Amino acid sequence: MMLAYRTNYYTGIIIYSINIGAYYFLWTAIYGGKSDIEGLSVIQMVTYIAVAWMARAFYFNNIDREIAQEIKEGKVAVEMIRPYSYLGMKTMQGLGEGLFRLFFFSVPGMFIVSLIFPLSFAANLSTWLFFGLSIIFSFIINTQINLITGVLTFFFFNNDGLIRAKRVIIDLFSGLLLPISFYPIWAQDVMAFFPFQAISYIPSMIFTNGFQGNALYDAIMFQLMWSVLLLIPIFVLWRVAKKRLVVQGG
Amino acid sequence: MFYVSMFGQYIGQYIKTRLQYRTDLVVEFLSDLMFQAVNLIFILVVFGHTQLLAGWNREEIIFIYGFFLVPYALFSSFFNIWDFNDRYIVKGEMDRILTRPIHSLFQVILERMELESLFGAITGIAIMFYAGAQLDLSLSWYDPLLFIVMVIGGALVYGGIFVMLASIGFWADAKTAIMPMMYNIGNYGRYPVDIYNGVIRFILTWILPFAFVGVYPSAYFLGREEWYGYAFLTPIVGIVFFMLAIFVWNTGVKRYRGAGN
Amino acid sequence: MMKENQMIYVNNLRKDFKSYSSRSGLKGAFRDLFTRNYKILSAVDGISFNVKPGEMVGYIGENGAGKSTSIKMLTGILTPTSGEVIVNGMNPHKEREEFVRTIGVVFGQRSQLWWDIAVQESFRLLKKVYRVSDEDYASHMEHVIDTLDIAPLLDKPVRKLSLGQRMRCELAAALIHNPPLLFLDEPTIGLDVLVKNKIRTFLKEINERYNTTILLTTHDLQDIEALCERVVMLDQGKVIYDGSINDLRARWMEGKEIHFQFKREVEKDELTKLSNGITVDWQPGKRKDLWIGHVEDNDEVISDIIARVVNELKIIDVNIKSITTEEIVRNIYEEGAVRE
Repeated sequence: MMLAYRTNYYTGIIIYSINIGAYYFLWTAIYGGKSDIEGLSVIQMVTYIAVAWMARAFYFNNIDREIAQEIKEGKVAVEMIRPYSYLGMKTMQGLGEGLFRLFFFSVPGMFIVSLIFPLSFAANLSTWLFFGLSIIFSFIINTQINLITGVLTFFFFNNDGLIRAKRVIIDLFSGLLLPISFYPIWAQDVMAFFPFQAISYIPSMIFTNGFQGNALYDAIMFQLMWSVLLLIPIFVLWRVAKKRLVVQGG
Repeated sequence: MFYVSMFGQYIGQYIKTRLQYRTDLVVEFLSDLMFQAVNLIFILVVFGHTQLLAGWNREEIIFIYGFFLVPYALFSSFFNIWDFNDRYIVKGEMDRILTRPIHSLFQVILERMELESLFGAITGIAIMFYAGAQLDLSLSWYDPLLFIVMVIGGALVYGGIFVMLASIGFWADAKTAIMPMMYNIGNYGRYPVDIYNGVIRFILTWILPFAFVGVYPSAYFLGREEWYGYAFLTPIVGIVFFMLAIFVWNTGVKRYRGAGN
Repeated sequence: MMKENQMIYVNNLRKDFKSYSSRSGLKGAFRDLFTRNYKILSAVDGISFNVKPGEMVGYIGENGAGKSTSIKMLTGILTPTSGEVIVNGMNPHKEREEFVRTIGVVFGQRSQLWWDIAVQESFRLLKKVYRVSDEDYASHMEHVIDTLDIAPLLDKPVRKLSLGQRMRCELAAALIHNPPLLFLDEPTIGLDVLVKNKIRTFLKEINERYNTTILLTTHDLQDIEALCERVVMLDQGKVIYDGSINDLRARWMEGKEIHFQFKREVEKDELTKLSNGITVDWQPGKRKDLWIGHVEDNDEVISDIIARVVNELKIIDVNIKSITTEEIVRNIYEEGAVRE
């Protein structure tokens, strides 16, 4: 099915490689001979970025846009009477696409990039296991945030702006563009109160061995906590939305 | 002349429609502003850890970013076609476009414009003035003219690349997943190209010539004479790339399969 | 036949699509990355027909018969793989922008109007798109708006209209430039009978008034019976019938159906025994007490059958019906060809 899009597949891998390549040189220039910045070497930094973009292929999905679209078109009212959970179904759909991209896109892409640029791969199994666990949480938290933004369409007439704003916030504060540890201390303190770094920063740091010992467990706990906490607004919003739909006669 | 008048018609209609959803407009301004801030934050954070980037200082890099925002604002106002495949090919809206007597690309551009993105140009000019003042740059009488020419050249480069990407949809059922990475590559044109190795420099100059939207034209205003040759190529590369994009588009339209096959 | 005199001239037109098939399983998916299996499907497989100016032609066929693909080639949306199309003296795809100025198109499932703006704003924009002068617009559209009875809808945004209201507006929008040729793809789909009738009357009227040529695709054969004298029928990418609708009926079956409802359940044997000597095709109805007899259209035969049946069996109801075009068409598709 998705592999039917061959052109897309190859362009995707090429563009990803160019991306990582440019990043590599940009960061080499930024380091300018320094051996490390904030505890990360150049190679760790490039690995961080490569993994961050690869993990994004897994956790990223468009279900916020889809939900918003279906709410606008009135399809959600129909979905609500079906015997399965609408939000659950959307999540599973996102998971399916994510897994697919992970195995067909991320893994081969990563392999090709590692041939061209010096990346550092963890040697021990436990790092890989923690990384695996961590990107599952990335997926959960990112999807939860998408569900919230999507369902909010019930309360706004047109939700495009909010969806866009959410995307910018996630790119910046999830650590996709820059490791959180590069930010000034006050900014790091503020970000600690938000779930965003659980999406990209934590798995990428785990992969590059940027977290060791207790920091590792703290990071996973941080992810676990948020993936539970975010369930609350989803349930609340969905219940209110359902009531509204009944009142309006959907 | 007809196309200019159609342009006016659609803009009028657009403004009327947009004003119906004013809250949305505000959120969109804010998200645009945030988007512009993100990259500025990136530069500031990076220069918190280093003094020079291949011999260019922080203010120069900020100036390049300010310049980049202006053609980028033009581009995002009029070439909002990153979801062309989903919106027009998969949903079959291209059928409707093709039954109207206006060039199909022009129609798509008119239908998808987002004029509020033009405000990014104001942010960009403000950033340029700030950085320019820090760097003690002086303006000649012809600089504003050259600025306009370079901005249009840069916007055409950007537009050309994305029109070509959108045209892929005519050949293969391309999903839009590569678009975010493409936007990201666009960012690399804002850094001095001498930091990259030959391959990437070549790509950013001739294949995906994003350097013509950032560092090359800015080099002229920053008085970096070693790059003047490239700087003055900006409008030419813009026109050539855009013409190429129209050619690819027109070829693609012939391959259009219609929806529901 | 001269190409120049035709409104639509189609000669041996063909459109092939490459259809990729995916291999199954994960391994298959990986192999698909390197080589792909595909086969060539001819959605339109060498069709030829002509339409004269002022004709109203019904264009019918099942889903996938090649109707919409061929309509899309006639309207310049798709490029033919091979063959010749000349519509209104032009090659639709090559001279697309010039050409589409001379046609009107209504796709039932796709809106030509802008969703968020008032209908009249859409009209105004389309008027500019088609470069219609104020005088032409005023003289022509006033009549269209009147006949379709859409004046009260003009200041409403399209998203607030019902399907029937929207469809009438779509029709008006397609006529803003008063095209000599109109393509209608399922214009009455999902509409109630009143709106359907209004649209049919309107189409007839503009055909008479402006001599507009109309090519009509529809699933509703009543549309065609009401409007068209001629039908072109497609099946599997080929024209299987092109001629008058009356000929079609005559050639297929000049017969009647007699519907019986009996007091009790009846077996086929009893009926065949009764009708011994007369050609009747007995078909069971939905229940065991319901039977339909197909006979030739002959008063004596029909009377004879009814007399014989009524004599032997108690009946509750009898009905004599002509066979509808719809049944004819269904039969044709079941047999796959038109009887000669």
